[in-house]
Amino acid sequence: MNLLTTPRNDMCYCPGCSHGMVLERLAAAIGATGRRPEQVCLVSDIGCIGTADRYFECHTFHGLHGRSITYAEGIKRVRPEMTVVVLIGDGGCGIGTAHLVHAARRRAGIKVIVCNNFNFGMTGGQHSPTTPPAGHTSTTPDGAADYPFDICETVRVNGADFVARGSALDPSIGTLIGAALNAPGFALIDVWELCTAYYVPSNKLTPPRLVELSQRLNMPFGVLFDRTCGPKSLRAAEAAPAATPSHLPHDQAPPAESQAATADVVLSWPERTEICVAGSAGQHIRSAAGTIGKLAVAGGLFAAQQDDFPITVRRGHSLSNLIIATTPIEYAGLDRPGLVVLLSRDGLERLGGLAELPADCVVVAASELALPPAPARVLRFDAEPLARAVGRASVALSALAFGLVEKEWIDPAALRGAAHRWAGGEYKDADIRAVDAGTALSRGAVT
Amino acid sequence: MREFITGNQAVVRGALRAGCDYVAGYPITPASSILSDFVRAFAGELGIVVQTEDEIAAIGQCIGAAMAGARALTATSGPGLSLYSENIGLAQMGETPLVIVDCQRMGPATGGATATGDGDVIFARHVTAGGYPLPVLAATDAASAYRLTYEAFNIAERLRTPVIVLSSKDIALTRQTVDLDAISLPPRLARRAAADNGPYAPYAVDRPESSPAFAPIGGLRRVRFTGSIHDERGLLTIDRGKIERKLTHLRDKIAMNAGSLEDVDADLDGRARTLIVSYGVADGAARVAVRLLRRGGTRVSHVTLYSLWPMPVRALRDAVEPGVERIVVPELNIGLYADELRRVFPARPIESIQRYDGGLIAPRTIVDHVVRAESAKRTEAFQPC
Ligand code: SF4
Ligand SMILES: [Mg+2]
Repeated sequence: MNLLTTPRNDMCYCPGCSHGMVLERLAAAIGATGRRPEQVCLVSDIGCIGTADRYFECHTFHGLHGRSITYAEGIKRVRPEMTVVVLIGDGGCGIGTAHLVHAARRRAGIKVIVCNNFNFGMTGGQHSPTTPPAGHTSTTPDGAADYPFDICETVRVNGADFVARGSALDPSIGTLIGAALNAPGFALIDVWELCTAYYVPSNKLTPPRLVELSQRLNMPFGVLFDRTCGPKSLRAAEAAPAATPSHLPHDQAPPAESQAATADVVLSWPERTEICVAGSAGQHIRSAAGTIGKLAVAGGLFAAQQDDFPITVRRGHSLSNLIIATTPIEYAGLDRPGLVVLLSRDGLERLGGLAELPADCVVVAASELALPPAPARVLRFDAEPLARAVGRASVALSALAFGLVEKEWIDPAALRGAAHRWAGGEYKDADIRAVDAGTALSRGAVT
Repeated sequence: MREFITGNQAVVRGALRAGCDYVAGYPITPASSILSDFVRAFAGELGIVVQTEDEIAAIGQCIGAAMAGARALTATSGPGLSLYSENIGLAQMGETPLVIVDCQRMGPATGGATATGDGDVIFARHVTAGGYPLPVLAATDAASAYRLTYEAFNIAERLRTPVIVLSSKDIALTRQTVDLDAISLPPRLARRAAADNGPYAPYAVDRPESSPAFAPIGGLRRVRFTGSIHDERGLLTIDRGKIERKLTHLRDKIAMNAGSLEDVDADLDGRARTLIVSYGVADGAARVAVRLLRRGGTRVSHVTLYSLWPMPVRALRDAVEPGVERIVVPELNIGLYADELRRVFPARPIESIQRYDGGLIAPRTIVDHVVRAESAKRTEAFQPC
């Protein structure tokens, strides 16, 4: 079945332009695959070749410059049974190089036809990434100086399954296009063309000179790589492209969430409490606040946790503001903290001192930490023995549990009970141990 | 059942509830956990999730997938939204249902990756070339992030348009207590499907404000998708009549449906002289401030905006009409939405409370502002002339 609706002479291309010829070859090659029009999607983007979609009777998608590969990959993943063909120019391969390389790496099952005429035809014959050295264009009047982009080699070394190059004027190009369409996985064919409006007149390019150019640039014509017939190399394990997950009906059930039991017991708690846990990255500050928050929510209370940390998560300060209340929390910022747990200098510095804390605030601080004067009541704990007992990663949680009990917001037995009952997830046992150790500290606390 | 989850987790849950089955994204703070949570959620082949080479590929894949029938979502932060820009225009022109989540951060460029802000509220509205509207919603907390993500899919499907859901670092990464099952949601909507037979034109609409019937790429009806100006068959056109018809449709399908897109929470006091209008991260503080003010005897009205664009003008007019003398707008940017309100309510003083250093506006700041404004007014009234 011929998908082409328009004879070459009625297409919009300049006389002698190779585009029409390549489209005829492409249509014939698709026809030869026996695929029906609705099983084929032609994805194009910008440049003279980007107008080709209108000449085809199949699904067509016309998008932005160089991005055709991305749309095609989206379509192919949702409709793995389709033949998805990308028509792209040499300019598109430049602006979309990243997509080309990474679609090849992902071995996306799309078939990329590059219509490479060494310049931007549509915008007035400017140089493109594939302009050969010394090539004259409107933006390289003295000849191009840059290294020409080897599209085939680029995708070949990055995982492509089939790579070929040929001249649009060579009758064998149809066979090469057909081979690309039939290759499993990511296939690309670089078709060298004549832009009769710009590149040909400026560079005296002729069909035989295309062949010479291929030799001069050491960019040979023919099939350059075919995974299905290549030797069983070190990449043999990947020979079959990874199965693309199939598209599912829309009424799927969302996956079940793991979550602690609903509260059949409501913890007794003051109306609203504000806590700040301040330390350094790596001290599991956010996890400590999160664990207590989760226990509170499991216990029928409301919690909100707002974190503050620099962009590199393993260095610098880490602060968690935790609010626990008996009613819904609308504002997650701290207004009047009742408990500050200090685990490092970084944390203290980020807080900017303790002078602003209200007088009824309790500060729980590691004993080795030098503190500025504070109106608040300060409780010390020895971090080293605690770290030996519960593990360094759990010190913050222990110190927080210690503070909650010292503040008399919760009875130590009730807090331990909550941890034993509702702690969950990967660190369940460590969390229970940390809460146990923290609540035990409160008896031996030094004021 | 109450849970302790972040705004990002709420977005994922809302999207799953809405039937989202295609996600492509590129890691960026503070949005990254949306992508990694989908990797887990779709592990049993319940959907397709791809980490792409950049944001351009992420939205590109989503557009391709959506036109092949998927319900697609992509999430990013301001820098990524900048890279989405051109493709958002493609989705507008091609009438692609697509949900875009922007977890905002502070400032332009890389800004403060782990600092909060609501600075993209105007950018989101004018995010792409050409000047055509698209719906923009703004979450205020985890619960609304869940509901609005779900709603965004319904809007995207119903109006065949990209929809932006704004979140922010202090919603995205802040954990809150929510009971998602207790949040009532409307029925799930799907795009209007084309008939299986008879003539099919992928962009034909009967009225400017209605959306074209959808047939997926890969289905039995052959589809032409294009980002260039086209006629109802998806073919390029230079016919001015057809061009005007298409672009009027792009305007009207949002503008004429603005009423149905209004999403606000109005807490009005008919005798209030102060109206607080809030959205995004500042909304929680505004709610607390309203309670404190009322407890202290100050009458205030409050409107929370969940839909920012089109501006919910009807709801705002209802809130303003009864004698409001000032509109106070707390926001985490340089007063961007306040400026827009000035255009709509030129006769009312719009008082902007701004913070843009990555910190939160405290309820107390809003209370102090309103109390000061109210007492200034009273003193003025008692001045002998
Ligand atoms: S400008 Fe060049 S590429 Fe474009 S149609 Fe004319 S000859 Fe072909
Ligand atoms: Mg070219």
